[in-house]
Amino acid sequence: MGLRAYVVRRCLQLVVTFWAFFTLLFVLFRMMPGDPTSMFIMDGMTPEQREQRIAELGLNEPLHVQYIEYVRQLLTGDFGQSFIYNDPVTSIIAVRFMNTIVLMATALIFAYIIGITFGALMGWWRDSRFERGGIVVTLVARSSPEFWVGIVLLSVFVFWLGWFPSSGMRTTGGELGGGFVARYGSLDFLRHLFLPALTGAIAYLATPTLLMRSTMLDVLNADFIEIKKAEGLPERTVLYKHAARNSILPIVTVAAIATGTAMGGSVVIETVFNWPGMGREMVSAVNNNDYPLAMAAFFLMGSVVIIMNFVADLAYVYLDPRVEYE
Amino acid sequence: MGDDSKSRRTVLKGVGAASAAGLTTSLAGCVSQNGESDVDGAENLGDEVPEIHFVAPTAGANPFRNELADIVADNWEDLGFDVDLEELEFNAHVDQVVVQQDFDASLLGWGGTPERIDPHTFIFDMHHSSTTGEGGRNTPGWESDEYDELAELQVTQVDEDERQQTVYEAQEMIAEAQPRTYIANEGGYEPYASSRITDINPTLGEGLNSFWNLTSVTPTDDDTVRFGYPSEIISLNPMQDLATPDRQFVRLLYDQLYRIGEDGMPTPWLATDDPVIEDDGMTYTVEIRDGHTFHDGEPVTVDDVEFTYNLYADSPTYSSLVEDIEEIETSGNEITFHLAEEYAPFVANVLGQVYIFPEHVWGDVAPEELVDYEDEDWIGSGPFEFVDWERQAELQLSAFDDHFEAPNADNLIRVPGADTAQLVNDLEAGQLDMVGAVPQPTAVNRVREDDDLDLSEFEAIGYAMIEYNTRREPFGDRHVRRALSYGVPKEEYVEFIRDGMGTVTHSTISEHNEFWHNPDVEEFYEDLDAARQELADGGYGWDDDGRLHYGEDQ
Repeated sequence: MGLRAYVVRRCLQLVVTFWAFFTLLFVLFRMMPGDPTSMFIMDGMTPEQREQRIAELGLNEPLHVQYIEYVRQLLTGDFGQSFIYNDPVTSIIAVRFMNTIVLMATALIFAYIIGITFGALMGWWRDSRFERGGIVVTLVARSSPEFWVGIVLLSVFVFWLGWFPSSGMRTTGGELGGGFVARYGSLDFLRHLFLPALTGAIAYLATPTLLMRSTMLDVLNADFIEIKKAEGLPERTVLYKHAARNSILPIVTVAAIATGTAMGGSVVIETVFNWPGMGREMVSAVNNNDYPLAMAAFFLMGSVVIIMNFVADLAYVYLDPRVEYE
Repeated sequence: MGDDSKSRRTVLKGVGAASAAGLTTSLAGCVSQNGESDVDGAENLGDEVPEIHFVAPTAGANPFRNELADIVADNWEDLGFDVDLEELEFNAHVDQVVVQQDFDASLLGWGGTPERIDPHTFIFDMHHSSTTGEGGRNTPGWESDEYDELAELQVTQVDEDERQQTVYEAQEMIAEAQPRTYIANEGGYEPYASSRITDINPTLGEGLNSFWNLTSVTPTDDDTVRFGYPSEIISLNPMQDLATPDRQFVRLLYDQLYRIGEDGMPTPWLATDDPVIEDDGMTYTVEIRDGHTFHDGEPVTVDDVEFTYNLYADSPTYSSLVEDIEEIETSGNEITFHLAEEYAPFVANVLGQVYIFPEHVWGDVAPEELVDYEDEDWIGSGPFEFVDWERQAELQLSAFDDHFEAPNADNLIRVPGADTAQLVNDLEAGQLDMVGAVPQPTAVNRVREDDDLDLSEFEAIGYAMIEYNTRREPFGDRHVRRALSYGVPKEEYVEFIRDGMGTVTHSTISEHNEFWHNPDVEEFYEDLDAARQELADGGYGWDDDGRLHYGEDQ
């Protein structure tokens, strides 16, 4: 099958996947107990006020009517109004999503740069002290819960050394809002970013390191490495140009999927460091029965996973000509 | 009930034995087991009493009440009931119990905001037979004609002493009937940085979240107070459905004619004095303070007040708040409210709740747009002015220096936290000055040991309670409800589960609400023998396995 036919077929699959995905989301959220007025009842909302609110939100309509309305909105790129905030969902999510991307992208980039480098070296220096020590460190990092790593970092860098702020994205009391550069370009922001990003990097580090090491070991056993060595090429050239490059393929898939899930934010990191990202917003939207906001958040996150998988499939073909389209 | 909860119970008992002083009476009851009791029930047994569907919060939703539910379920099983304990998250719990009314017994809390210091909510809304519908306050569905008369009478009694007498009687009747087990007023400790702020003023029911605290707190290191709370405000629009945390900040920006004072009683605010009440409580005349302005410099006039009350009447969300007002007249600086019927809590619950809006800002907003209206600057006349707000990051307010009760802090910043534990971290790191929430006991101990930090204690008027669905058998029978109440270890809950935070209660009105609380109502401490006696008196009996049955004649 040719590339074009393959891409077309994958695109069609994509459409079906998306349909199944958002329908499932709709059904799941409507099956959840409670409704968006539940959180106000104990604060004094009367039964009359409650009915009035339910009618305003259109939740007294039959389910299929609500579903059709939901699909219609989605197709026009409109996620609707948040039930709780009374603001357009898009404007709420845009900011949160950006905050999460900046945090998680930083964490992932560090994790993968460090992970790939160390994994390659661990494979190269097999049976050395470096490899054995590296495996121990990696496994410890992998098995440490994120909240624990976060609290340890807080204890050391905040409570003991006092080098970094304990939470948030910037020092309170300053100018709010501003453009991308004003928000994410300042030194103050970077100081706030450091600890949560480091926590994320430690959590994501193990997978690329261990994967890189084990594929390196396979590749190093291959004949062509011996030949390259026999050709008298410098060790560094063999390591980076031939061995490491050939080992990187599985990393691409893993990285793509990790990126997808990371974009949903890490509830744990965002909670420990009070980072105003997607993860926490999703949790609070679910707790408040704020269906439009929760569904939009899950939709966005799921979409990134679906699309990154798609990208990984295509990237495979590009990176390794032996992979065929089927 | 699994072994897990039994073992926790054993631990708690151990703690109890170790520091037993003062608790012996309540703990004595829990030692007796099935069959060891001296109480004989009915000799000829009918059907088994149906299983109790007991709804309680998950440990995540409320760790203290979750723990209590396990112990209560154990006790009830000891009494011969079968208990099906269902744990739910908060919204699901409220929906299933308060809205769907699908439960036999439910452990929930009822909040005690300052507007509930007036007994109307606790006496009328929560126990009158007109509020038993879906989502209504009388969740147990308890109905008593005799009680309804008292609840209706107190509404009409403008004389406080007469009203107090009626409210006392109502409490006695509720305590005897036990439509709910009133367990404890859940006061607690809130942490703050004593090295950076002073003049804190935690008040009844609200602690550091109180209006009086936020206006009196004074920063000693700079000019800003940073206040942390474990959730974000939903809206500052006073016309939206507001949750308690929203209202606590809306009222900093907007004034009312009266405010609920530190002592819980309404005190004149935009009004110059107490209202002149005429026509047997059917007419209230209020004089408005002269020379006060909104944040934009425009004067606050009697016309703004009249406009506001009409706006509330048109608002789909809040029209019910002012529905008792039949007519409004103004003359000079005075405004007169003519009521459709007598309403004793009018000052506290209406004049003290309606926020005064500037007509020049809200004048053109149609009633159906009120909820969505976004006044970018939230112009009110309150002691704080709106500066800026970024959701999930911070809300910035500054002092309105021209206010007649200008706050002590020049700036107030509200930071929504991820959870209380995270906020305590911020407090320790110096990023926050106070936290408006009660941390877990471990964090409380950390705060105690920190020289820069301190704890402020507050008392609550709301309470944790178990509600019984009197629409279902056998909970329509007061003997059963009273027996189940004897199965609730109230002192153990406060002393050990809540680590001493709060006070045991037996009445719907907290002992901290001194004027209205009746100290002589019937008391229900944990006492399984008394519970068995109560069931025997009701005509119930036990089979050889200790399972509770209806008597043959029932």
